[in-house]
Amino acid sequence: MSSLPSKEGRERVRPGREAAAGVAHPLSAHRVKHGPRGIGAWIGLVPFFLFVTAFMLVPASSILVGSFQDPSGAFTFVNFLHLFRPNILDSYLITIKVSATTALLGGVLGFLIAYAITLGGLPKPLRSFMSTFSGVASNFAGVPLAFAFIATLGRVGLVTVLLKTLFGIDLYDTGFNLYSFWGLSLTYTYFQIPLMVLIIVPALDGMKKEWREASENLGASALQYWLRVGIPVLLPSLLAAFILLFGNAFGAYATAYSLTGGLINLVPILIGAQIRGNVLHDPSLGYALAFGMVIIMTVSIVAYSWLQKISSRWVKQ
Amino acid sequence: MKRLGIFLVMIAIAGFCVFAQSTSTKDMKALIAAAQQEGQLTVIALPHDWVNYGEMIQKFSDKYGIKVNELNPDGSSAEELEAIKANKDNKGPQAPDVVDVGLKFGPEAVADGLLAPYMVQTWKTIPDAVKDKSGYWYGDYYGALAFEVNTDIIKNVPKNWSDLLKADYKGKFALAGDPRISNQAFLTVVAASLANGGTLTNVKPGLDYFAKMNKAGNLVPLIAVTGTLASGETPITVEWDYNALANRDKLAGNPNIQVIVPATGVVAGIYVQGISAYAPHPNAARLWMEYLYSDEGQLIWLKGYGHPIRYGDLAKRKVIPADLAAKLPPASAYAKVVFPNLQEQTTEGKDIADMWDQVVGANIQKQ
Amino acid sequence: MKNASRRAFSWLWLVIGLVYFFLPLLASFLFSLRGKKGVLSFVAYQHVFADPQFLKTFTFSLEMAIFTVIVGLALIVPTAIWVHLRVPKAKPIIEVFALLPFVIPPVILAFGLIRSYSRPPFAIVSSPALLVAGYVIIAFPYIYRSVDAGLRSMDLRALTEAAQSLGSGWGSTLFKVILPNLRTALLSAAFLTLAIVIGELTLAVLLAWPAFGPYMALVGRNLAYEPAALAILSFALTWGSIGIIQAISRGTPGGRSSLGGTH
Repeated sequence: MSSLPSKEGRERVRPGREAAAGVAHPLSAHRVKHGPRGIGAWIGLVPFFLFVTAFMLVPASSILVGSFQDPSGAFTFVNFLHLFRPNILDSYLITIKVSATTALLGGVLGFLIAYAITLGGLPKPLRSFMSTFSGVASNFAGVPLAFAFIATLGRVGLVTVLLKTLFGIDLYDTGFNLYSFWGLSLTYTYFQIPLMVLIIVPALDGMKKEWREASENLGASALQYWLRVGIPVLLPSLLAAFILLFGNAFGAYATAYSLTGGLINLVPILIGAQIRGNVLHDPSLGYALAFGMVIIMTVSIVAYSWLQKISSRWVKQ
Repeated sequence: MKRLGIFLVMIAIAGFCVFAQSTSTKDMKALIAAAQQEGQLTVIALPHDWVNYGEMIQKFSDKYGIKVNELNPDGSSAEELEAIKANKDNKGPQAPDVVDVGLKFGPEAVADGLLAPYMVQTWKTIPDAVKDKSGYWYGDYYGALAFEVNTDIIKNVPKNWSDLLKADYKGKFALAGDPRISNQAFLTVVAASLANGGTLTNVKPGLDYFAKMNKAGNLVPLIAVTGTLASGETPITVEWDYNALANRDKLAGNPNIQVIVPATGVVAGIYVQGISAYAPHPNAARLWMEYLYSDEGQLIWLKGYGHPIRYGDLAKRKVIPADLAAKLPPASAYAKVVFPNLQEQTTEGKDIADMWDQVVGANIQKQ
Repeated sequence: MKNASRRAFSWLWLVIGLVYFFLPLLASFLFSLRGKKGVLSFVAYQHVFADPQFLKTFTFSLEMAIFTVIVGLALIVPTAIWVHLRVPKAKPIIEVFALLPFVIPPVILAFGLIRSYSRPPFAIVSSPALLVAGYVIIAFPYIYRSVDAGLRSMDLRALTEAAQSLGSGWGSTLFKVILPNLRTALLSAAFLTLAIVIGELTLAVLLAWPAFGPYMALVGRNLAYEPAALAILSFALTWGSIGIIQAISRGTPGGRSSLGGTH
């Protein structure tokens, strides 16, 4: 269908927008079996909405209900007032920071690796090796991952000891510390990169060789190709992947808890402290904290949708 | 005449005692039958290596032929209560019958209506200070916080809290939990506080102590687990003595572990048992309680290095085997042990939770 | 010339990536060999294999994972296609739903599921169906994102209309035209779901199922070398399971072209 080499050509052939607006299209005369339009089309989404409501919204409704209750069950706003305490605000900030940093790190490095195995001209078997490996590594998190990094870069870790015995370098003297923001980010990146690889590989597959060839024939350098063609085309997928990586890190806590013992105050750790912890025990505050996370996530999605809209307008130019 | 009267009264009392004994024996038989009818017991948050619960569960199951369904061995006390709450309408295997929770969760559970009262036969031998008057919850075992040291790496073993601040131990100590979340960890701060002039309601000395330790570079901000203890990342930590001793046995010299009760600042923690008010198998639950508080059950806990709550009674009646008594650290180590009570634990917990990240947690944003 | 420098660039990043990924695994592996003092020994692995629970729980979780993949794909793929084709306005709503599972703490989800489904007429709390449903929700963000990325990179509308103008019904359009083009994305979704379900902990524990995640946590409680051995073994087993799925899918239509479908 889209055999024209240029980006503009592809846009011209795409019948999407016009068809959706009901404008006649050369092919529409043959369209016989399309279903209902408008409101009726939403019916197709009913099974999905039912499932999500039954198994996500209903069970999670306790977040909404519990946030407005105090320990005895009476209605109150006090939990939300508590959210504005400086240490809790700090904790939201650091959680956002860790999530954004590792989404970016994982996104960039994952993109480079995904590029290497799809368009990079490497032997084919490497691609299925990396794909399957990424599948496993994307969920290697929590205690096993924390321990693996401790065993590698901790004070008596493999690399630390090797550096000392082979090169005489004391890693921790140089200021490196695994038990810090950057150490945690380095650890989180372990599951962020594979996730990025798996998500972006289909999008890279959709990049046609002809575009690159045409751009080279027109005298464009690799940089110009990426800036004018590659990145704009990939931008929606890149943004989507970024927000997925962000969310992935946002809700994670087992790795952080094992690695930094609560030194880094992530919101999920605070939630755990209130709901499952043995010292404090204010589940209502825990629910309010979770509700705060829901709000932040929703705001991020709004920002993301807006960015998508802008970027698609840019692509249209 | 008077002597006959006294004699008759004594016979009456003896007769009553025999009658009472046989009543309780008859009750026990009925309880066992009813429990076996139910056929199953659901317990929660009982790791097999925690005061030898593994043997306790196995022996109970073998003795009465009741299957024991174990939930969530890693669960916290809060999770146990939450499990009762969530499973109020559920008679399936997700609903716990009995719980073993930290002291302060006993009254909390009663306030939330989560427990059913039951007084075991040996009720009277349980010290009053650690049981609820109406039988909703009662102490089951206790232990003291002790240093757990990997002696393959640490040659000079610390004997007291002040030792841990020395330069020899740079980068060697870690807590076994987050003090805002873990009972064990926050009581560690309390113990350090007591060793440094604090009281049971003033834990600031403990927080200052850990701030000092952090500044000296001795405190590693990890959560110490057996793996990090063995690998040398956190060769010194503080745990309940029963856990530390069980670890020592399990590691069997690979590496060598030494357990030392500190010379000052010895804090003990009590766990309490309770039957769920919504238990799907109430009779099995009661039978379980009877077993735990029988001499047999209490000695199983002793085997796991825990101090069973009826220790005093068992010692008085000389039913503790000598070899078992020898396995525990010497009684003199526990001479100064302190038991924070409910209010104290609550105040301490709040203070530590509020001030921990200011006092100890470096401001990570700056890195 | 251009190709050579591109290949060098690719090799560079691939090698950096591989070093980063394998060092921690190597460190864990070396630690797991310290089960016997002073020598390198596989005794920790022997302990793990000697435990019948190891294979039992892994098999259980693998089964649950396969069910989750089937239910998840069956639910989300048609929905994503429908949204792309018919109801683009619903996209933001679906996106919100697709990211919510990240911010619902698993413990809240689990207890919520128990509370909601212990009473008749929905007393399914003890049925594995509830576990699978919970897993689908947890895996939902990853499945949706994979399928969405795949749909974006193919010209869905044009393909569908071309197929239909040639007389194909919805069913054969779906199975013969759309899905083969989505093969890479569907595989990514399946891999991600498999890994998530096999390692999942909270839901399995609270709903009282003998799954692999709780087993790993149990072993990790107070042992030193076995948890590391178990982590390596579970990594290998999960990788193997994913590899099998990859190999099976190679036999299906569209399987041989790994660089995008009909172009």
